[in-house]
Amino acid sequence: MDAFTLTLWIVRITFVILLYLFFAALLRALWRDLRTTVATAGRSLGRLVVVTSPEGRPPAGASIPLDAITSLGRDVNNSITMEDSFVSAEHAVLTFRGRAWYLEDRGSTNGTYVNGQRVAGVVPLGYGDELQFGQVRLRLERVPA
Amino acid sequence: MLLALMGVALFAGWVSLASQQAGRMTIGDPAIPVIYVGILFAIHLAFVLTGRRMDQVLLPVTGMLGSLSLLLMARLPQGLAGLSLGGLDLGLAPLQLLWLSLALAVLAILAVAVRNDNWLREYKYTWAAVGIGLLLLVFVLPPAGAERIDAPRLSLRIGPITGQPSELLKVILVVFLAGYLAENRTLLARTSTRVGPVSLPPVPYLLPMLAMWGVALAVVIVQRDLGAALLFFTVFLTLLYAATRRFAYVVLGMAMFLAGAAVLYQLFPLVRIRVDVWLDPWSDPLDTGFQIIHALYAFGRGGILGTGMGAGLPAVGDTPGDLPAIHTDFVYAALGEELGMLGALAIVALYAIIAERGLRIAARAADDFRALLATGLTLVIVIQAALIIGGNLKLVPLTGITLPFISYGGSSLLANAIVIGLLLALSDRGVEPPPPPSGPRRFHLPLRSTA
Repeated sequence: MDAFTLTLWIVRITFVILLYLFFAALLRALWRDLRTTVATAGRSLGRLVVVTSPEGRPPAGASIPLDAITSLGRDVNNSITMEDSFVSAEHAVLTFRGRAWYLEDRGSTNGTYVNGQRVAGVVPLGYGDELQFGQVRLRLERVPA
Repeated sequence: MLLALMGVALFAGWVSLASQQAGRMTIGDPAIPVIYVGILFAIHLAFVLTGRRMDQVLLPVTGMLGSLSLLLMARLPQGLAGLSLGGLDLGLAPLQLLWLSLALAVLAILAVAVRNDNWLREYKYTWAAVGIGLLLLVFVLPPAGAERIDAPRLSLRIGPITGQPSELLKVILVVFLAGYLAENRTLLARTSTRVGPVSLPPVPYLLPMLAMWGVALAVVIVQRDLGAALLFFTVFLTLLYAATRRFAYVVLGMAMFLAGAAVLYQLFPLVRIRVDVWLDPWSDPLDTGFQIIHALYAFGRGGILGTGMGAGLPAVGDTPGDLPAIHTDFVYAALGEELGMLGALAIVALYAIIAERGLRIAARAADDFRALLATGLTLVIVIQAALIIGGNLKLVPLTGITLPFISYGGSSLLANAIVIGLLLALSDRGVEPPPPPSGPRRFHLPLRSTA
């Protein structure tokens, strides 16, 4: 084996090694990213942003973090209290099941609307959906990581 | 850091290739890798200077796939593709460099300029119409290249440039599907019709699914483009499942696929040839089975470490026409021979990383449209890579589609650059919040007071 063949072989192997070094560097970047994601995950499942609220409670523009079970209504015992004259005392409940949000109307007087349509029973929600209770309109949003 | 490492690897490969071809130690003509790495660094600088907080991994991965492409194109005979521009003759490698630069420019412009997605979100039916228009154009305009009875009609010639509209079509398809599914996913996920043991959503919402199936069939029948049809349908089904989490759709879609495939197998010789050759390429080793057999030989010769850049057997490359489509459909076999199993695995790993990044961007997205868009864009690249790599390895029937970012070809590179550019734009954490959902939004007043 002459010097040329040997050098060429070394260059060839270096190329493959560099390819894998690049891959290792990628994996390291992914691992760091995963660690930060894990560290910040689970803090919040989502939030409600108040779009309109004529009576000001809650104020328009407010952002409300959600628990896995969040009840909404005019009564002070709800997770989110909406002091709106058209909201029932126990109006609706938002639940996070598995990997998605669900909304259930709890027999309210004026009903619950998702994207302008009245809902009955338990309905699945998507992020970006607009919910209306009485005169209060809220948007379900994912909390940015 | 990643880019620098990528650059070093590209130069090592370049030296390896040039020395092998010259028969002595040389660095060859370093113009192509220097220009390419320069462009990548310029784009990275542009991202930093515009202050966008985007994904840091996608660009180097794309760059690495592009480097492998350049290495392979420089190694193959330059006459496989050529373009004369005002007395300037460009061979395969410079031409690929030109396309790669254009593609990277498109990628950078999209990533920097796209700050809100309303132009995609609001006009989904317009995009669908554009897509169907593109499809029709291929039927109306004269096909490019020699007309063979079983040759896929997928090229479109405008002036001196030929393009493959199906490459662009896949991006448009994903935009439309993401918009449609984000709007209707809660309806699609609801059960209301029962057929035997399978519960189905309301029938009208199944129609788009049937339409997609029809489009895929039409692409096969009229364009004779199996790869694109398979890609469209797979992306569609996966995205539908991602949006609804209804396994029944997948079962239904697979049943429709099997029914369609069975009928096509009976009716169209092209489909029959592809499947028969996949099952037994040695039944016709000199004609239809030729490509697959030689791809398998190439992988076999490659072994673990490969023969080295430029040292593959003449069967791969030196005699043009020996293995047709070596620079487009069979790039994976060529790289598998010269880089060996290690190199081939590294390529698969790069696509896996694109998948990881894309799905993470989707998981982080602020609303359903962006999540589905990111998922779909990722799927387009990854499924396309899986289909053609599987085809090269005789794992699935061979279909003529490109390996994203590695195969030669302008339309393929540009379309995939659009995909990565959009993914980068979606990954930015400082973009505008999504607009409120459209659709009926009436105020239901007057209401009865509950106070």
